[in-house]
Amino acid sequence: MDFSELLIQTLINGILIGGLYAVMVLGFSVIWGVMGVINLSHGDFLMVGAYLTWVLNKQYGFEPFVALFLVMPAMFLFGYLLQRLLINRIIERPPLIALLVTYGLGISMASTVKLMYTANPRITTTQFSGYLEFGNVVLPVTKSLVLVAALVMMVGLFVFLKYTRFGKSIRAAAQNKEAARMVGIEIDRVYAITFAICIALTGAAGMLLSPLGSISPFMGGAWTLKAFAITAMSGLGNIPGALFGGMVLGLVENLLATFVPGVGAGVGIISSFVLLVLVLVTRPQGLFGGLRAAQEIR
Amino acid sequence: MDRIIAIIQGIVFSRRTHIILLVILVLMPLLHFGRESCKDEGQLAAMIPEASCSYLIDEKPVTNATLLTFTQMFILIILASNWNLTGGFTGYIDFGHAVFFGIGAFATANLMGASRWEEWPALLSDWSFWPAMAAGGLVAALFALMIGSATLRLKGPYFSIAMLGTLVAVREIVRVSKNFSGGGLGLNLPIYLNRPMFYYLSLTIMVLIIGFISWLRKTEFGASLVAIREDEVGAEMRGINTTLHKIAAFGTAAFITGSVGGMWAYQNTFIDADIAFQQTRTIDMVMMSMLGGLGTVAGPVLGSTVMFWLRDVVWSNFLLYHQIFEGILLIIIVLFVPEGIMGMFDRENSGTSLNQIIKGWFPKSSPDEEDSQ
Amino acid sequence: MTAPLEKGKENNMEPLLAGIGVTKNFGGLTALNKLDFAIYPGEIVGLIGPNGSGKTTLFDCLTRVQGLDSGRVIFKGVDVTKKKPYQVAHMGLARTFQVFRVYRKLSVFENMLLSRQWRGETLLRQLKPSHPDTEERANELLEFLTLDHLTHELAGNLSGGQQRLLEIGMALMPEPDLVLLDEAASGVNPVLIETITDRIRQLSEKEGTTFLLIEHNMGFIGDLCSRVFVLNFGQKLAEGTSEEVMQNEDVIEAYFGS
Repeated sequence: MDFSELLIQTLINGILIGGLYAVMVLGFSVIWGVMGVINLSHGDFLMVGAYLTWVLNKQYGFEPFVALFLVMPAMFLFGYLLQRLLINRIIERPPLIALLVTYGLGISMASTVKLMYTANPRITTTQFSGYLEFGNVVLPVTKSLVLVAALVMMVGLFVFLKYTRFGKSIRAAAQNKEAARMVGIEIDRVYAITFAICIALTGAAGMLLSPLGSISPFMGGAWTLKAFAITAMSGLGNIPGALFGGMVLGLVENLLATFVPGVGAGVGIISSFVLLVLVLVTRPQGLFGGLRAAQEIR
Repeated sequence: MDRIIAIIQGIVFSRRTHIILLVILVLMPLLHFGRESCKDEGQLAAMIPEASCSYLIDEKPVTNATLLTFTQMFILIILASNWNLTGGFTGYIDFGHAVFFGIGAFATANLMGASRWEEWPALLSDWSFWPAMAAGGLVAALFALMIGSATLRLKGPYFSIAMLGTLVAVREIVRVSKNFSGGGLGLNLPIYLNRPMFYYLSLTIMVLIIGFISWLRKTEFGASLVAIREDEVGAEMRGINTTLHKIAAFGTAAFITGSVGGMWAYQNTFIDADIAFQQTRTIDMVMMSMLGGLGTVAGPVLGSTVMFWLRDVVWSNFLLYHQIFEGILLIIIVLFVPEGIMGMFDRENSGTSLNQIIKGWFPKSSPDEEDSQ
Repeated sequence: MTAPLEKGKENNMEPLLAGIGVTKNFGGLTALNKLDFAIYPGEIVGLIGPNGSGKTTLFDCLTRVQGLDSGRVIFKGVDVTKKKPYQVAHMGLARTFQVFRVYRKLSVFENMLLSRQWRGETLLRQLKPSHPDTEERANELLEFLTLDHLTHELAGNLSGGQQRLLEIGMALMPEPDLVLLDEAASGVNPVLIETITDRIRQLSEKEGTTFLLIEHNMGFIGDLCSRVFVLNFGQKLAEGTSEEVMQNEDVIEAYFGS
C-alpha cells in the first residue's frame, strides 16, 4: 500500500467510526442539554448495551443487528426506571452532585456486570462482515453498516425533536423550564422520557460497537471521556455538530493509530483528551457555542 | 443524642486523645522489633512468600501484615488531607488528583534505577531513596503547574472532568511510553522489605501533613483559599491574585502527593501504569473527604479512618461485592450526608464546604436551594 | 454641562476615573451603550437610574469583573480596560455589591483582614501572622460599623443588614482612592445611615477619597453627592446636581413613564 492509499484508508476508517461516535455522544449531550446532568456513567450504559447484545448473540443466537431491536426497548425501560428512582433527585441540583452520583452509579453497574460475566473481554459475531475492495483500499462491511444504522438513528432523533409534539416539549424544557411548565408541559414526564430515549440510544451505540472490538466491564470510562470531548466540540444536543465532532475524533484516532508507531490501544483516550484540552483552552465555551459557562473568570 | 455527640466530640478532638493515639502508633511496631525477621535472610527474603515466614506470624502480635495495613491507612489519610487542600479548601474538586501520585511513583522508580530504557542517563539512575522521593514530588509539582495553568481556569464540573481526563490520558501516555514505564511489564524497584521503616515514614508524614494543613488554614494564605472558594470573583476583585493562590495550593498538594507516590512505589517494589494511576484512588480521596467533611482539617482524617476500617473489616468478607457497595455508598453520601461527619457534629460552625462549593457554581441560587446554614 | 463638572476642569485636574465609549452587550441586550463619563478626585458622585439601566453592570466593568465589548476605562491615568480585577484593586479601587457577598465560612474578622491592601504582597508574606496595623484598622472599622461584637462570628451567620455593613467595611479596609458603593444604604437602619454618611463625608474631605454611589435612596444622595449621573438603557440621560437632575423632565419620564 502506498502512502496515499494508506491515508485514504485511514480517512475512511475515521469517517465510518465517526457515525458511531456521533450516536454515542447524543445520548450524553442531550441529557446534559435538557436536564443539566453530566452523566459520568455514560460509558457504562454503553457497556451494558454491548453486554446485552453479547448475551443475546452468544446465548440466544441473535444476529447483533437484529438484537438491536430488543436492546433498545430494554434500555429504554431501564433508563426510564433509573430516572424515576435516582436521576430525578439530582436534576435541578448543582453539577457536582450529578457528577458524583453518576460516577457511583457507573461503578456499581460496571462491578455488577463484572460479577455476572467476569472481566474477560468479549466480542459479538455478526453475519455482516467482510470487506468490499477497491484496489488496495477496503471498505469494511460491518463498520459501514454501523455507520448506516447510526445515521438512521440520528435522522430519526432529529425528526422526532423537530417535528413531533413531544420532541418540541423536550426542546422547550431544555430552554426554559418555567415557561414550559406554564404552558402545561409536564416536566417530570419530559425528563423521564428524554432520559429513557438517551439511554436507549446509548444502548444502541453499545450494540453497534460490540462486533467491532472487544468489550469488558470497565471499558466505560474511555467512552465517557470521548463523549465529553465530542460534546465540547459540538455543543449540547447538537446533532450535526455531534456528527462533525465524532468524525473529527475518529479521524484523529485513526491517523494516530496508523502513523504513530506503538501508540497502542490507548489511542482513543489520548486523542480525546488532547482534543478536549485544545478545545477548552482555546475556546472554553466549546465550538458551536457548546458548553455553557466553561469560561474563565475575567 | 446531642449529649452523646458532644461527648464523642470531646474525646475525638482533645489533644490528650491525639497524644495517646500517637504514642500507641509509635510504640506498636516495637512489638515487632528485636526478633528475627525474614529480612535478615537477605535479598532472597523478598521472594519468600509470607506463609513461609509463618514462624513470624505465629510468634508476633504485630505482623508485617498489620504494619502494612496501617501504612496503607496512613497513606490514605495523607492523600485525602492533601486532596482536601485543593478540593475542600479552595473548592476545586479535582477528580484526577491521583495523576500526581502516579507521576511521583514513576519518577522515583526511574531515578532509583528501575528504568528499562538502555539509554537512560546514568546520572539519573541509582539514586538513593530520599532524594528520589523528593524528586518524585518535584516532578509531580512541575506537572501540576503546567496542567493547572490550563485547568484551573475552568469552573466547577469542567475542572473536575478535565482533571479526570488528565488522569486517564496520562495513564495511557505513560503506558505507551515503554521507556519510562516498562509498558505492560511495569517497573521493578530495588527490593527493600522493611515494613517498620515504611510504617514510621508514613506515620511521620501523616502527622506532619495534618499539622501543616492545620497551620496553613490559620494563615492568611489558608484563609484566602477559603475566600476563593466562597467567592472567587469577589476575592479577585478585592485584590487577591486568585490564579497565583490556586496554583500555589495545587502545586503544593501535587508535591506532597507525588512524594507519597514515590514512597509507595518503593514499598510496593513494583509499579505499572494501571496501579500507579488507579482511578479509584482519586475517588477514594473525594469520598473520604466528603464522608469526613469537605474543607475541614479533621474531615479527611475521620473519613479515611472510617472508610478504611469499613473496607478492611466489613467488606473484605464480601470481596466480590465490595466495589458495588462503594458505588452505592458514594451515591448515599452525596445525596444524604453531603456535609459529612464533621457536618453532623456542628451544623452551623462546621465550616464544611460542600454546600458552599455548590452555591458558588450558582451565584444567583435557584429558589430550591434553601439556606441550610 | 453645569458648574460641578467644570469645577474639576477648572482646577485642571485629571479625572480619577474616566470612561470613554464604554459598551457592554449581553447576547442581544445592550447594557451599556457608548457611555462617556468622568469622575474627579475628591468628589462624591451619585449614579441613579431605573432598574435595568446598567448601573451595576457599569460597576462590574469598572472593577473588571466583566469585560468591555468596546470603549476604554482609564483609572488614575492608566488604561485599565484589559487589566485583571486584582490589579485594579491594587491601584486603589474598592467596591461593594448589590447582592452582598461576604466570605460566609470565614469569621467577620478574617473577612476584614483579607480585604486589606494586597499590593506588593508576596505569597510568603501571607504565611506569617497578620500585621498589627491591619488588625487595628479592621477593629476600628468594625467598631465604627457597630459590628465589633460579632468579630469572631462566621460571616454567614450575620443578618442581611449586618452583612451589607461588613461589605462596606471590607471596601474601606484597603484605604482605597475610589470607592464604588452599590446601594450601600438599603437594609440599613437610619441611624447607621447617618453614621455612614458622616464617615463618607469625612473620608472625602480629610483623605480625598472619591466615592461613586449607586442609590435609590434619594435622601442619601441629596446629602452627600455634589454631582449625579442618571443612566437609562445604558446611556447617560442627565448629569448635574441632585436638584437639577430631579427636576429634569427626561429623568422624571424615565422613572415614572409619561
